[in-house]
Amino acid sequence: MALTLTCPVCGKRNGYEFRYGGEDKGPRPAEKGLTPRSWCDYVHMNKCVAGIQKEWWYHKDGCGSWFTTHRDTVRNLEVNEPEAPK
Amino acid sequence: MGDMKRQSPAQFKSRPVKTDVRDHWVVALEFENEGPGPWLVDLCHKTRWDLQDGRIDEQTPSGVSVPSVPGECRFENRILVNRMNHTQAAVWLLGNGRAPELPAETGYTDVSEATVFLALFGPKVFSIAEKLTALDFTDPNRQTPFLLQGPFSHVPCQIVTLARERAGAGALLLACSRGYARDMVHAILAAGAAYGLCPAGENRFTSWLASMQA
Amino acid sequence: MNRLNHLPTLRINPSEKRSLTYRGKSYWGFAGDTVATALFANGVRVFGRSLKYHRPRGLYSLDGECSNTCMQVDGIPNVRTENTPLKEGMRVKGQNVKGSAQFDWMGFMDKLDWLMPAGFYYRTMHKPAAVWPIAMKQVRKAAGLGTLSPDFEMKGLFDEIYPTADICVIGGGVAGMRAALAAAESGLRIILLEARPHLGGCFDYRVSPYNDDKKLYERARELADQVRQKDNIRVFTHTSMVGAYNNNLITAFQVGKEQDEFDERYIEIRAVSVVVATGCIERPLLFEHNEKPGVMQVGCAHRLAHTYGLLPGEQAVFSVGHDLGLEAAVDLFDLGLKIPCVADIRKDGQDPRLLMALVERRIPLLNGWVAAKVHGGKQVKKVTLTTVEGTVRRMIPCDLLVASAGLTPVNGPLTLAHAKLVYDSHTGYFLPTDLPEKMFAAGRMTGRNHPLSIEASGRLAGLQAAASYGVNNKTALAEAETALSGLPGPERGCKLVTAPVKGRKTFICFDEDTTVKNIKQAIDMGFDVPELIKRFTSAGTGPGQGGIPGHNLPLYVAQYTASTTPPKPTTVRPPLVPTFLATYAGTNHDMCKRTPVHDAQVKAGGIFRRIGVWQRARYFSGDFDCREDILNVRNNVGLLDASTLGKFRIHGPEALKALQRVYVSDMSKIKEGRIKYSAMCNDDGCVIDDGVVVKTGENDYYFTTSTGRACVTVEWIRYHTRFDGWDFHLVNLTDAMGVVNISGPNARKVLEKVADADVSNVAFPFAGYREFTVKGLIPVRAMRLGFVGELSYELHIPSSWMPAIWDILEEAGREFGIRNFGVEAQNVLRMEKGHIILGQESEQRTNLLDLGLGFLWDRTKNEAKTVGAVALRQAEADPGRLTLVGIQMEDNARAPKDGSIIVDDRVRGYVCTARKSFTTGEAVGMALVESQLSDIGARLDIFEDECNGRLLYARVVSMPFYDPEGQRMKI
Repeated sequence: MALTLTCPVCGKRNGYEFRYGGEDKGPRPAEKGLTPRSWCDYVHMNKCVAGIQKEWWYHKDGCGSWFTTHRDTVRNLEVNEPEAPK
Repeated sequence: MGDMKRQSPAQFKSRPVKTDVRDHWVVALEFENEGPGPWLVDLCHKTRWDLQDGRIDEQTPSGVSVPSVPGECRFENRILVNRMNHTQAAVWLLGNGRAPELPAETGYTDVSEATVFLALFGPKVFSIAEKLTALDFTDPNRQTPFLLQGPFSHVPCQIVTLARERAGAGALLLACSRGYARDMVHAILAAGAAYGLCPAGENRFTSWLASMQA
Repeated sequence: MNRLNHLPTLRINPSEKRSLTYRGKSYWGFAGDTVATALFANGVRVFGRSLKYHRPRGLYSLDGECSNTCMQVDGIPNVRTENTPLKEGMRVKGQNVKGSAQFDWMGFMDKLDWLMPAGFYYRTMHKPAAVWPIAMKQVRKAAGLGTLSPDFEMKGLFDEIYPTADICVIGGGVAGMRAALAAAESGLRIILLEARPHLGGCFDYRVSPYNDDKKLYERARELADQVRQKDNIRVFTHTSMVGAYNNNLITAFQVGKEQDEFDERYIEIRAVSVVVATGCIERPLLFEHNEKPGVMQVGCAHRLAHTYGLLPGEQAVFSVGHDLGLEAAVDLFDLGLKIPCVADIRKDGQDPRLLMALVERRIPLLNGWVAAKVHGGKQVKKVTLTTVEGTVRRMIPCDLLVASAGLTPVNGPLTLAHAKLVYDSHTGYFLPTDLPEKMFAAGRMTGRNHPLSIEASGRLAGLQAAASYGVNNKTALAEAETALSGLPGPERGCKLVTAPVKGRKTFICFDEDTTVKNIKQAIDMGFDVPELIKRFTSAGTGPGQGGIPGHNLPLYVAQYTASTTPPKPTTVRPPLVPTFLATYAGTNHDMCKRTPVHDAQVKAGGIFRRIGVWQRARYFSGDFDCREDILNVRNNVGLLDASTLGKFRIHGPEALKALQRVYVSDMSKIKEGRIKYSAMCNDDGCVIDDGVVVKTGENDYYFTTSTGRACVTVEWIRYHTRFDGWDFHLVNLTDAMGVVNISGPNARKVLEKVADADVSNVAFPFAGYREFTVKGLIPVRAMRLGFVGELSYELHIPSSWMPAIWDILEEAGREFGIRNFGVEAQNVLRMEKGHIILGQESEQRTNLLDLGLGFLWDRTKNEAKTVGAVALRQAEADPGRLTLVGIQMEDNARAPKDGSIIVDDRVRGYVCTARKSFTTGEAVGMALVESQLSDIGARLDIFEDECNGRLLYARVVSMPFYDPEGQRMKI
């Protein structure tokens, strides 16, 4: 309830206006050469960082944009800093 | 067939005392006991267009240019153009005359039927609104008219703050999915009951609009 | 009882009477009274009985920190009457008493305390097990708080508001007011929350001088006026802050005044910056019988007189540990209270002016003395005082003992906001060391007691909050810092925790009847952490939360265990003060969607069900098998409202690319004037949606989705194209278009009568798409589908025209026996035809191939990176998947319930949909079974919910059950 996110279009809003879209894992890989394991890694494996991670959010109650932001998963706060080093 | 009528999704319990038939809509011009305000007016019969284009800044729907920043609105000749995001704007034709034809460019879609469209205006409007949403209508950093897209009574809405006056008076235009019409009208009227909110006819809105532009 | 009506500090209005009833009698109070002060004025001293021991309890603090004055008011139990405003006609009852609060038959429980040592409930109530349910009932009868009648209906209006603020100031004392005023200078929007019904905090009732020409209460009211004159400060009084969350989200609830339209309302404020200035409460003094009626805190006695005009007693002994106690003694003496003596825990360090004032009034002061025990049955009659070392004792008659160990900050809000609190040995307070971002503390809670220091700290915090918001006020900030540093800092506080007593009747927590002896027992049993002792002894788990024991518990534990580590306060959680569930529920608008022909279907007898966000007509009669409706579609023609289907326009130069990404079929093969059925999968190849796509122009498509997916379709498509930057646009037309499904052998005859176009089988064949008008006016997008297995048209119509066209079709179809059918009839009809509904014939793990829809998938469009394609390719070789099959029951009398499982020695699948088919006369259905069981003729054992081990049996048969050649939808 208390999380706020900053939508690039609408500005800072309450977290419940948004839907979580997962960690940022980059674009879909090309289908050629994909093994079941590498595909599964792309779809399902997460880093689950205890710290700052880059992630996708959708402004479902607002402008309908997908955007990325950085969130400190420990404090559940959006932050300006970039991702924690891997 | 002359007697076929279109029906607005917003229905009020009060009886209209003056109506007008416009493009098969029965438009309530005036209700009994409209009271001293605030008022809720059904504007579902007004034409609304969705405009989406990769180069939206070059578009001029009905001669009005599209504001360059999302959240900003332009209001000219009773045409309100709301910039929604990088590629999208809403065009709300608030005049009472016959709406112009939908422009031929493919970016336009007539979405008049997609939403319930209401005007909430008069005294204490923002006191009513804060019962239904955490959206910030009174942000001093924003110039009216401006657009907020967010939840209102839990339903995603597009809301334009058309005017803000002293002591919490003002005007909001609100559009949300048409199917929610009944519950949305109920929620707004319930929230406004303590402030004397009453349904009103289109005339009330028209004259308010005229006084605002004067 | 005569009120002190002349006092300028009064908050009651003696000209406005309010009546209440208690124990069958009518009493009077005044506007501005609380329920408890009105009862007190009428002679009531015992307000309730304690949880376990049924000890009499009376006024103690006036701010609701304990359950002492909890009563039943207008049917609502556990109302803290000491801070509940009196309203006309309130009906008040005692609670947890047999008889009355004054004469409680359960009073003997107090003698049985030796039976109930710490944790007795946990340690005794587990064996023998058979006794437990009986014992539990008796215990619950004897102990407890109020009771709520099962058919009690909560009356009143419970509102909610979400006001916007730049800065929220919690606490409307002078520090809070100064903070609000300072922050308001920069034009920011300020919200000021005050728990009491008026601003002023601890200045409000005090008549000591503020400066040469003003008294403290005058200063408070002057500031309150300044606050009210500011347009940008919004004040909420009688509003308790109950929660603080990330990013300075503050929640509170406000109690309505008599003239307010709400009874209580929930307030949620998202502030950029927050100032906490919640002040202090008094730390309860621990001694024997420290909660007997007649023992009250300094502020309680002082406010009873100055706020409510009630002299708290006749003859009062004071046992205090701070100057506020001396100030109150002097002041109450002047109002007529007899004071035989004042015991001050401190041996020195008192304000010399107060010492002089005591001398002038000939009030003896005992330095280094403290109350050890009060005597009396239901009320105080005598008090034993002792030196803090316990060396000398003296007994003094009195009817009032004003007792307080010292002050303790109200730092619950800071704890909720995850501030770190550290014990400060100078003040004896838990002080914040690590405040969250953009949160500031001010006032007495920081240890300052000097009025000017309190104000200056408030102003500084207000300016700091404004600066953290982004206001440039460096000069003002620097000045405020200098001003504060020139004033007295935090004062040394009294550290005494308990009088020198054994503690058998020394209550550390009033709500749960926890004594110092219980705490000792817990420690002796090995508990050493206050957090665990709290749970074992229940101290601080009652309605007042940590109000009474909050800081005494850790301090006492530290003292008793001679701990060398600094004490830590126990955790507090929201809501900080008791709040009605009704207040949290608020107005609770249940928002759902209705279709444009909702009313027409209601009129036709529709029985509605909430399906997702929609209200849909499921049945049209009390026959939930829908026999007549089903047969009418098969034999004549039926009308279904399918407006809830998702409907979208997608346009733009790269619209096709987006469709190729999300649909499994090759969408470039869509022909003009034809519909294309396809499906969407997720990345696991599991089917999430199906629908039809129509090409309406160059780079322009119209498509439908299932009802449940309509609200996430835009999100889905944008998500799966978010890295591509393609130029396409989606318009959600779900609510813009109503949908009428007209199905049955007579469907064409009906449509012919009204459509302005040739709808013959040649001009408008199966799977065709046409646009035409009805009655020369209403624009229609028509599709020929066969979901229910009959000749069928799906008409998409602008929503405002839907009621009109519904009437037209019913009128035109009357001669052909048209009638409505609902979602359940459609469900059976399509099941007979073997057509699936996602979510019914599929669950999360069901992929496209499992459903036999593999033919939809185009494997050649690798470049499109179609969502699900990779997983489908991998799943093709997987033998361990479920397969959708048709089943027929061996006993045709009835079908199993949907969701029944298919078993042998383990679960092998489940029944998706099964019904007795009126069309074929057989009990048939569809099931997902392991592929080994999917051969035609395989026998399935079905375990139905509540079947008591009597299995049902079915055989796998081929589908569809109805019209296998598919002729009827193409006629």
